[in-house]
Amino acid sequence: MSQPATAAPAALDALASLDALGPKGPYRSRHRLTVGDVTGAPMAELSLVPRLFVTRALAALRAADTLPLEERLAALKRAGELFATGTVAGMSAEAYEGAVCRMSGTPLANVRIAVEAIRLSATEAYRSVQAARPVGAVGDWRDPYARSGTAVWIRRGDVFAVHAAGNHPAVHALWLEALALGYRVAVRPSRREPLTPYRLVSALRKAGFGTDQVVLLPTDHDAAGEILHGADLSMVYGGQEVIDRYAADPAVLPNGPGRSKVLITADREWRDHLDVVVDSIARHGGTACVNATAVLVEGDPAPVAEALAERLAALPSLPPQDEKAVLPVHPLEVARGFERLLLGKAAGARAWLGGDGVVDDLGDGSAALRPAVFQLDDPRDARLGVELSFPCVWVAPWTREAGVAALRDSLVVTAVTGDEALLDGLLAEPSIKNLYIGDHPTHWIARASRTTRISASS
Amino acid sequence: MPTASLSVLDIPFDERPDPDEYIRAAMEWHFGPDTGSPFWLRKAETLDFDPRRDVKGVADLALFPNVTGELREVPVRDLIPQGYGADARIVGVFESGGTTGAPKRIVCLRDWLDRLTHGLSADLDGLGIPRGVDWLAIAPSGPHMVGEMVAGTAARHGGLMFRVDMDPRWVKKLISGGKAEETDAYVNHLIEQAAYVLRTQDIGVLMTTPPLLERLARHDDLIELIGEKVKGIMWGGAHMDADTRDLLRTEVFPGCELYGTYGNTMILGGATERLGLGPDEPCVFDPRTPFVTFSVVDPASGAPVAYGERGQVVMNHVSKSALLPGNLERDLAIRVPPPEGAVGDSVADVGPVAMFDDEVVIEGVY
Repeated sequence: MSQPATAAPAALDALASLDALGPKGPYRSRHRLTVGDVTGAPMAELSLVPRLFVTRALAALRAADTLPLEERLAALKRAGELFATGTVAGMSAEAYEGAVCRMSGTPLANVRIAVEAIRLSATEAYRSVQAARPVGAVGDWRDPYARSGTAVWIRRGDVFAVHAAGNHPAVHALWLEALALGYRVAVRPSRREPLTPYRLVSALRKAGFGTDQVVLLPTDHDAAGEILHGADLSMVYGGQEVIDRYAADPAVLPNGPGRSKVLITADREWRDHLDVVVDSIARHGGTACVNATAVLVEGDPAPVAEALAERLAALPSLPPQDEKAVLPVHPLEVARGFERLLLGKAAGARAWLGGDGVVDDLGDGSAALRPAVFQLDDPRDARLGVELSFPCVWVAPWTREAGVAALRDSLVVTAVTGDEALLDGLLAEPSIKNLYIGDHPTHWIARASRTTRISASS
Repeated sequence: MPTASLSVLDIPFDERPDPDEYIRAAMEWHFGPDTGSPFWLRKAETLDFDPRRDVKGVADLALFPNVTGELREVPVRDLIPQGYGADARIVGVFESGGTTGAPKRIVCLRDWLDRLTHGLSADLDGLGIPRGVDWLAIAPSGPHMVGEMVAGTAARHGGLMFRVDMDPRWVKKLISGGKAEETDAYVNHLIEQAAYVLRTQDIGVLMTTPPLLERLARHDDLIELIGEKVKGIMWGGAHMDADTRDLLRTEVFPGCELYGTYGNTMILGGATERLGLGPDEPCVFDPRTPFVTFSVVDPASGAPVAYGERGQVVMNHVSKSALLPGNLERDLAIRVPPPEGAVGDSVADVGPVAMFDDEVVIEGVY
């Protein structure tokens, strides 16, 4: 492929082709998708593999061996270091960080956090999943306890598939746990940001995993289902529609809207917790499922909404590769789509921030999505669950009558309260996946809680 | 009035007529009061042109309106040209797939099927597919003409044909109803039946659709059986992208010749893959002109697109046995110059418009 004569960053040379990484090595298809940066400038040609390639790749994974435990953990650790600091597939770590940020619009600082999360997961993945092992079971039949009747904890299959998301590079930290457990893994990258899994799979291969042990299979929609078909267990990311589609399938773990929430009861002074609430909304550019979507306040929510609006309004609109960038950036038209969706949903709500729109045109074809704060009158308003991929929060009053029901269907609830009966109720509510008590942001990654989530799929 | 000689309509199978002379003769035949079909003689009265006077060649077929919609209701006997008299040898009545509502019907006559299968068999000779080997078709039969076409080709090529019947209407219903599990079960049912034949019989030619080829490829034992026995794979009924074609050729079935067909019941056949194309060339289909001709047009204006551009495919069938001009297909294809001596367009890269699912703004962060 010819390169522009201008002084393009060296990264582009390596990027020009993002091949699929199949069981026999890199595969360049004829059917390719141009992946652009947020300004619309083309960055890479992503090879999209046909369904038949997926079938064959999954069969190869199934037929492959698993590296022995010690070898694969050492390879994982090496891969994590390579991914975070090395030159992989011709691209330095610095060039990768810059490229992924321009491609996905993720602020540079967040990309660095994600890189660190992936490096850490590569090192800790096995220890992390062991926390999900039933206390009565051991990890190996050679363990003396196994000889006296103790169960051995083993993985539930051989092939694990991931339909990854492109909202945040850190989503790729999770599936490393499947590799640690000995699964062979197929990753279908997001077309919006395929660079992170390309780099990670390349690093894993360089570190010792076989080409038939971890593969990268970019596909269009048509072939996507074939990846799940060929796997024993899968993890998929998507909207509510994806959650509904796989709700009844025990082999698929769907990750959908988090609808995470913060609750502050009247016995606590909300001003003392404002930093945590702002951080819950805005960290990671508001693009994570663990970002707060709703804040429920016992008493008048207006002063809380006002304070949040004031704090969030101060966040600067900057191109994603700026060191100080904190807000997600999209192609202008995509950003306008988010804005239309938000303003349509927000009709009738009291706007504290973003009521006139959230799109800040950066003048180069891209736009930052600015924070939004809307106040609702009823804790049962369904809009408290409208999660959008930027700092966007719905603030509503909470009452004793509304109770635990107002906090249902939440990936995380941060409860700032001294009411133990209420905490008991929240803990007992099955649709609240994680409960943080007190001054913890909703995106706090407690090692144990993350382990609980992935164990459902391993 | 100058009358074209009707004898060109019965030109020997190995010869190609002058296209325009052929079309003029066909107009004489289909619109002659003693030879034309009741359907076309009635239709002629409503046309604002006289086919015998104004249709002077292939290009003038565009004058005809698209009458295929009427084929849902017309009594099929009215489609048989009267010129055959009592001797008309009928192969059968066949129907369109029925994707959109009630099916359309045509009548297939023996002289056309013989011409069609002769051409296919000659192509197989060109590919080096031996005569006298036996065939397995996992394909629609019953009301769908493809089953008859393949059976006729197998017989002409000296083979016995084993059949696994596939009901495409049911498959389409299952898919459009979102019944993925039932679709899967039905496809497994087809593959299971095919496996019995492949295991016990010496199958030299396999005919099926690209999706079924892919499903066969899920089974290593069947890949191995096909590798051992099958010399040629004839495919049709759905599009096959260039990457899949290359994988099938080079990795999955490296010992087999692949031979693609593109057509449908409503033109009583269709086009066949141009032989000798390289792996990076798109799969080009050439219709057997002037019996079957294509044009690739802009879906909005109906005007021809430039060579290399994508457009909608319009298909014409003109034989002694039938006149079916102006079939507008839903498929899009790239317009390609025809091979030497042929008329109209050839097509490449046939398929639906590609759909991507990433760019839609939805709720949630993924």
